[in-house]
Amino acid sequence: MVATSEILAFLVSLGTLYSIYAILSSSMELVYGELGLPDFAKSAFFAIGAFAAGALSVRLGTMLVGIAWEGEFKLRSYYYATLTSAKVAANPVLGLMLFLIPLLIAVPTAMLLGVLASYPALRLREDYLAISLIAFSEIVRVIARNYEPLVGGTFGAGVVDVFAWLRSPWRELAMMLTSAAFAFGAWLLLYKLSTSPFGRVLRAVRDDEVAAAAYGVDVAKVRVWAMALGSGMAAVAGVLYAFYIGSVNPDDFTVSRTFLVVLMVTVGGRGNPKGPLLGAAVYLALDRAILFAKRLLPVPFDVNYLAYVALGALLILFVTKKPEGLAPERPLLTVDARAVEEAKRAFHVLEQ
Amino acid sequence: MLDLLVGALVYSNLLALLAVGLSLALITCRVSNFAQGDFAMVGVYAAYTLSVIAGVTPYAWIPAAFAVGGFVSLLAYLLVFEPLRGKADLVTLMVVSMALDMVIRYSLHVYADLMQQQFKVYTRLFMFDDFFVEVAGARIPGVLLASTAAVVALLASLYVLLYRTKLGVAMRAAIENPGLAETLGVSVKRVFAVSWFLSGALAATAGVFLPFRVMVNPDTGWSMLLPTFAAVTVGGIGSLSGSVAGAYLIGLSETVLAYQLARIGISTAYRPLLTFTAIIATLLASPKGISGLWSGRGWSLRRRS
Repeated sequence: MVATSEILAFLVSLGTLYSIYAILSSSMELVYGELGLPDFAKSAFFAIGAFAAGALSVRLGTMLVGIAWEGEFKLRSYYYATLTSAKVAANPVLGLMLFLIPLLIAVPTAMLLGVLASYPALRLREDYLAISLIAFSEIVRVIARNYEPLVGGTFGAGVVDVFAWLRSPWRELAMMLTSAAFAFGAWLLLYKLSTSPFGRVLRAVRDDEVAAAAYGVDVAKVRVWAMALGSGMAAVAGVLYAFYIGSVNPDDFTVSRTFLVVLMVTVGGRGNPKGPLLGAAVYLALDRAILFAKRLLPVPFDVNYLAYVALGALLILFVTKKPEGLAPERPLLTVDARAVEEAKRAFHVLEQ
Repeated sequence: MLDLLVGALVYSNLLALLAVGLSLALITCRVSNFAQGDFAMVGVYAAYTLSVIAGVTPYAWIPAAFAVGGFVSLLAYLLVFEPLRGKADLVTLMVVSMALDMVIRYSLHVYADLMQQQFKVYTRLFMFDDFFVEVAGARIPGVLLASTAAVVALLASLYVLLYRTKLGVAMRAAIENPGLAETLGVSVKRVFAVSWFLSGALAATAGVFLPFRVMVNPDTGWSMLLPTFAAVTVGGIGSLSGSVAGAYLIGLSETVLAYQLARIGISTAYRPLLTFTAIIATLLASPKGISGLWSGRGWSLRRRS
């Protein structure tokens, strides 16, 4: 028998993770789905959020409560995280500060780096941008892995429990509600942008860059804004993720994670604001199903490997068989949908 | 010092094979193929398995690795990229190749687990035993000679294939203008299939040389991918000769710079920074790369459209 409280704890944990993935996929939808830019450094901007929490929460915490630091950061961060969490238990305001300050530092940093990393290739063909962003993503990970004062290198870093002032079921619930609130905010931002004139500009640039430019759209400027917003959103997800997990490990932010977010957006449906919410849900459901299957299937290799093979195959299947995703992009409301279809057919006849 | 030079040359040789393979995928289907490094690892595991079974040096199995890598790449083309040819945009193709990277890389992980149980050998972080040749008192590792011979032989054959055979004429025509080539009776699908076979085969050949220098596992291909992209970008995307030049430029400069940085106490783990700098500098200064210098003349095959 599984106790009801265990099921509830599982659901609360799942809700937190879902919210974090929903923020990530919404940010990817904005940059890749709406604007068509290959934002392959998503895991890096996600990491910047997590690293801000990892590098700052313990240091700020010990500074604010006046604990003298001894020893190297990489060896002692977990210890001091526990000490600071004990202080937070008696002082909710401290917890709030330790949550907000890393967030307020991470978001502008990620926005700035998002613009800087993409700037050299923003005016070039998309594959140049993709390559430079992948390279940037690896750099962020390599630096975090090797420069130990940042987040402890391969040791990782401990993160202060900012909800330590609540008792156990309530503290997880608070984490979930906070994440859900941010997820709702991020999604609302995406929705509002997508349905606004700015959203139409994004899709116009995606569908025909030259035509959009001819109509007076400053393509590079639109891309800068999308990269800044998308990267900032990913950083929010990263901060939440660090506080949710309770530690930060640089090797958690490989390109595989970017791939997962691309998978969510593609499966969910590019160009439809519902897509990222749907895609994140599908991914999480698959991920949990694989976890269960792992216990049931006695195979002579690690099932996680097989999971990645299956997810890769799933993405290929979707792109080749159902490129519009589960929630297809809707034609513009200002144009009669039937007229669009007729025009398309007429165009195909012309082409042949 | 000698070891540094040997390392730089072997590394550049491997990059040259990988970069030409990557360029073949780029100029045929416009795919920035993120699975190129995985083709190399397919070659590694093919040669390793055969040499474990037969007990012969992996050098003997280079032709087999060439064939297996080419076959996997051909399958990728026929199953994934051919159905998308002319339909998907650049970004979609990259996303698909990223998925392909996942499929191949983690299939290799599964294979490595199974192989370990079957043959009771290390299938991760292993190396191959090399032979050495004495030249003027210096010990030259065999991998330098073998990889150089492979680069010269394969690139020369590729040149002959492209410029001295009928198939090569058809390939170049299909690359420059697929629609027109199709109209004139060239089976674009068939010549692209040949290109993709060669793309994977070149990568797999490069892969076989890798464990003679470094310890490998199925993820090693990914770490070779960024320098390969840097070589292709610096050389000029879409140009085969540019890719070769870019490979040696990146390979030599990266090794020497990493060595210099290590001497002033900066870890060689920061090597990706050099790669990134090379890519960014090229994009800012001259996005067409160094092949922009001789574009349109000689061996610079690129898509016109």
